[in-house]
Amino acid sequence: MNFDQLKEDWNNNNNNHGEVSEDMLKIKEAHTPIDKIRKQMKQEFFVQLLSLLLLAFTPKIFGFSSELKSIFILFYAISCAFCTYYFFKFYTFYKHSYDLGLDSRKNLLWFYYEMKLNIELYKALTYILGFIALSFCTTALFIIKGTLLSEILQKFSMFYIVINAFVAILVIGLITEFWARLYYGKYVRQIKTIIDSLDEE
Amino acid sequence: MPEPSTANFLQLINENKGIIHKVTKMYMDKVEDREDLFQEIVMQLWKAYHTFKGSSKFSTWMYRVALNTAIIFFKKENRKVDKTSLNEQIDIADYNDNQEKEEKLAYLYRAVQELNPIEKALIFLFLENQSHKEISHNLGITEINARVKLNRTKEKLQQIIKKNGYEF
Repeated sequence: MNFDQLKEDWNNNNNNHGEVSEDMLKIKEAHTPIDKIRKQMKQEFFVQLLSLLLLAFTPKIFGFSSELKSIFILFYAISCAFCTYYFFKFYTFYKHSYDLGLDSRKNLLWFYYEMKLNIELYKALTYILGFIALSFCTTALFIIKGTLLSEILQKFSMFYIVINAFVAILVIGLITEFWARLYYGKYVRQIKTIIDSLDEE
Repeated sequence: MPEPSTANFLQLINENKGIIHKVTKMYMDKVEDREDLFQEIVMQLWKAYHTFKGSSKFSTWMYRVALNTAIIFFKKENRKVDKTSLNEQIDIADYNDNQEKEEKLAYLYRAVQELNPIEKALIFLFLENQSHKEISHNLGITEINARVKLNRTKEKLQQIIKKNGYEF
């Protein structure tokens, strides 16, 4: 195979068909992996915001006692504080722009770590919210008297309840990991494979 | 009437659009995917145009942005399989006077689809007459690594072309 001849043919090949018009510059949406992840996270952000708003009506819907309502408000306030913090973080990440004029290695590493950071942040928020929800449910079960569930609960030892809480946290963790891998992980893996091929000696 | 910077940009892009077309052919097999990648590259160039300070040639900066976009660009999923065979594609090229050259390049474009994104970048930059030093700068690897990788990729490409029943 004559690469010099191939190079010559390549350089003599005319690829100048079609004009680039101003309309082509008006497309707003970019499709790099980080843009795709950010777009998905933006959609989830609105779902989470809506869920948080709907959650505010929980005491009214389920007719909480004043004691339970106070505890709910406390847990709800903690959830809102965490969400505000993480939403702010997501927003700052969202505004991070990239520079494709860097060399490929720097560019790929930027994308890889930016995606990892976004995903880790997303997972952290999910763990925290899951943990708060679980804590509230456990507290509520001890406060609500006279229901079948509370009677059953009183028959079990503390050790059993702790084990159950531990398993529940584990399940939340596994679901979060699965969800993050399913929706965002594929892009990270693909970029990692490209970085590895660049690093290969 | 477009703004002066827009007009300048469009002029530069139209002068150098051959580079983008070649990148899209290297990275995408199907026509629709090539069009998507072309649009994406033009958009990324436009988004990053304000960072172009003019210290290097526009085409040098364009190589980087175009290649970096192509390397991390993932084609749309669930797209219908392109049933157009290579022979049909070559038939279209037959109208060109340089039939043999067109055929050779068509086989090259088909063969490079079996390379990974970094190998495609190496072959592309090599065909664009870039030196090992320039390739290493563009990819962010050492010059020795660029040389080794390029040689390996050329060997791999030769084997693919031979395997596909073509030789040149």
